[in-house]
Amino acid sequence: MTRIDDVVADRRGWRAMLGPLERVSEGRAWGYYLLLPSLFLVLAVVLYPTLWGMVLSFREMRLNRIDLGTGFVGLRHYADLIDDPIFWLSLKNTVIWVVGAVVGELALGLAAALVLNRELPGFKFLGVLVLLPWFLPNVVAGHMWALMLDPRLGVINDMLVNVGILDSYRAWFADPNAALFAVLMVEIWHGFPFFALLMLAGLKAIPADLYEAASIDGARAIQKFWFVTLPQLKMIIAATVILRVIGLVNSPDILLILTGGGPGRATQVLSLYAFIKANKEFNFGYASAISVVMFVLLMAFAYGYVKLSNAMKE
Amino acid sequence: MIVDRRSLMKAAAAAPLAALLPRIAAAQQGNINYWHHFTSETEFRGLERVMALFRTRYPNIRLTQENIPNPEYMSKVTTAVVSNSRPNAAMVVAERVNDMVAMGGLTDLTQRIAGWDRAASFPADRWRGATVRDKVYGVPAFTFVDWMYYRKDWFDEAGLAPPRTFEEFQAAAIRMTDPARNRFGFGLRGGAGGAAFVVDMFESFGSPIVVEGRMAIDKPKAVQALTFWSELMTRHRAVPPSAPNDGYRQIMEAFKIGQTAMVWHHTGSLTEIAAAMRAGQYATAPRPAGPAAHIARLTYLFNGIMNPANADAAWAWITFWADPDAAIAFLDATGYFPASPQTAADPRITGNPLYVAAVETTRFGRLPPAFVGAAGWFDNVVLPEFQKVLVGNATPTAAVDAMVRGLEAALR
Repeated sequence: MTRIDDVVADRRGWRAMLGPLERVSEGRAWGYYLLLPSLFLVLAVVLYPTLWGMVLSFREMRLNRIDLGTGFVGLRHYADLIDDPIFWLSLKNTVIWVVGAVVGELALGLAAALVLNRELPGFKFLGVLVLLPWFLPNVVAGHMWALMLDPRLGVINDMLVNVGILDSYRAWFADPNAALFAVLMVEIWHGFPFFALLMLAGLKAIPADLYEAASIDGARAIQKFWFVTLPQLKMIIAATVILRVIGLVNSPDILLILTGGGPGRATQVLSLYAFIKANKEFNFGYASAISVVMFVLLMAFAYGYVKLSNAMKE
Repeated sequence: MIVDRRSLMKAAAAAPLAALLPRIAAAQQGNINYWHHFTSETEFRGLERVMALFRTRYPNIRLTQENIPNPEYMSKVTTAVVSNSRPNAAMVVAERVNDMVAMGGLTDLTQRIAGWDRAASFPADRWRGATVRDKVYGVPAFTFVDWMYYRKDWFDEAGLAPPRTFEEFQAAAIRMTDPARNRFGFGLRGGAGGAAFVVDMFESFGSPIVVEGRMAIDKPKAVQALTFWSELMTRHRAVPPSAPNDGYRQIMEAFKIGQTAMVWHHTGSLTEIAAAMRAGQYATAPRPAGPAAHIARLTYLFNGIMNPANADAAWAWITFWADPDAAIAFLDATGYFPASPQTAADPRITGNPLYVAAVETTRFGRLPPAFVGAAGWFDNVVLPEFQKVLVGNATPTAAVDAMVRGLEAALR
């Protein structure tokens, strides 16, 4: 046999072995088979914990009170939530926190993207610099800002006093009227690059013809932005806002580091309240009920927001 | 072979020891993981010294350590218990013992302690913090003794002695305050960890907290206590304006940079203070006495076994902390008091004038209150309600009412 015959025989052997697989891969079920590993992972690490969390919200589950058992309590936790003033305060703070952060981050991110979209020397490097806050883990960013805003050693207070905006150093996180605002500033600084990055990608994808046509029609810069840029970015804005809202509602880490929810619960949000209930009081049933309420609110928000975005598109 | 009475007696005596040999050998091998919440460089240095000594003594035990930040400690412990991924041994403070035992996170050590030769060197009160329903769940490793640091140079300049009573303390705090120079009399802890001082105040004014598992706060006394404590800020302005958010790091920095004249903490921070300040700038004193009781805590740090696997090796590790060599090595690195009075009588402690206050405190100091739900009540109710008073959003009466309701709910 020649060398070519050997190769042909080899291929025939492989084909015979892979024959059944080839047939399956041509069938309609192949796509589902390929999905199986991911589906298994999603079921194991997302769906199961989520469903179990929901089940917990209907049960007694206090880890440090085993004597109470883990029986079914129906809607008791939800009824308790209605009478819990801290829950309502946390809900109010969550709305302020999320709306403030998303609006601030979106505005700053869009502005940064518009600036960085210009083809000027050094802007690629600037683009990387702008992204730096997003690269920082929340914990690092939180501790860094805690030091920068420190009423004794903080450089921000020093700058504000030197330029005459403040008379003396201010304890930002100790004042209930300033604490949420101060943490919002930190969050906006930390989160705006997320919007900037995606907006910049969106801006790069807008065809130049649209701007040229607008120029021929006599549109000024602001009109181009309003009638060309914004409509073209609408889907990206919708997606980023939903992702960011979910992230902000669910992660209390910056608040936990900077204020711990204080002073006097002035910065207490729902995720932090659930965290405290689970990890300080070990009341997993009640914490699960708070989490389920957050889940439902987020689903309702996402549904409503997508509906609204589609309606605006049409 | 002649078997006489003497050789029979020797064989009889040796038999139990021979039976123990495999057990001892087993105790000297295996892998164990130790969870702790040490934070500072000095603490890590001390831990490394103890671990080095342990490795020399038990070369076949592979010991690894894992640092869990204190604020997240109970979250990690809870997760480990729920997911059954527990470390072999873990650090346990007295106020967490009840919660950890209740969630099934600690192994009962009563039998092991009964057979431990060093157990007798610890007085009965050393075990109380780790005892739940007559079972012991931890071995004392070292202790923190509450005391006060004060600016000796400022007090000398003002001709003041360190305060011995709350009245003197308040007067000194007011006297030392000069906002124009950014100087305040006292570093009040109103942020993380501040709840413990509120509870100390209640007891100092004569109000118990929990008696026989029931809420026992005496409201009028508690209101009086909270008024006294919060008025340091709201009325006398004798604490930094940042007090409602000041945790450990902030109160220590304030003292070290010369913003505050007095700060309450425990012996654990002496090394840090000594490294940052000149001798003569600062001194230590017992915490002042309240109108009804003189309260300062003796907080014993225990080590417990969380995982039944490799329990013998874990037991070797947690009892090694009682070894005088280990305790002195740890003291050298950190300044932390040994839990055993025998070791605490070391001349390096008794001969150091800074430690006089701690030695005095050990005579009247008491254990922190411990009951199931204490940690949650401290952090979720006492602290935020106290902060509300500090920032003017609640009266002491309203705050005490909320604390009472919270405590009743926690104990229900």
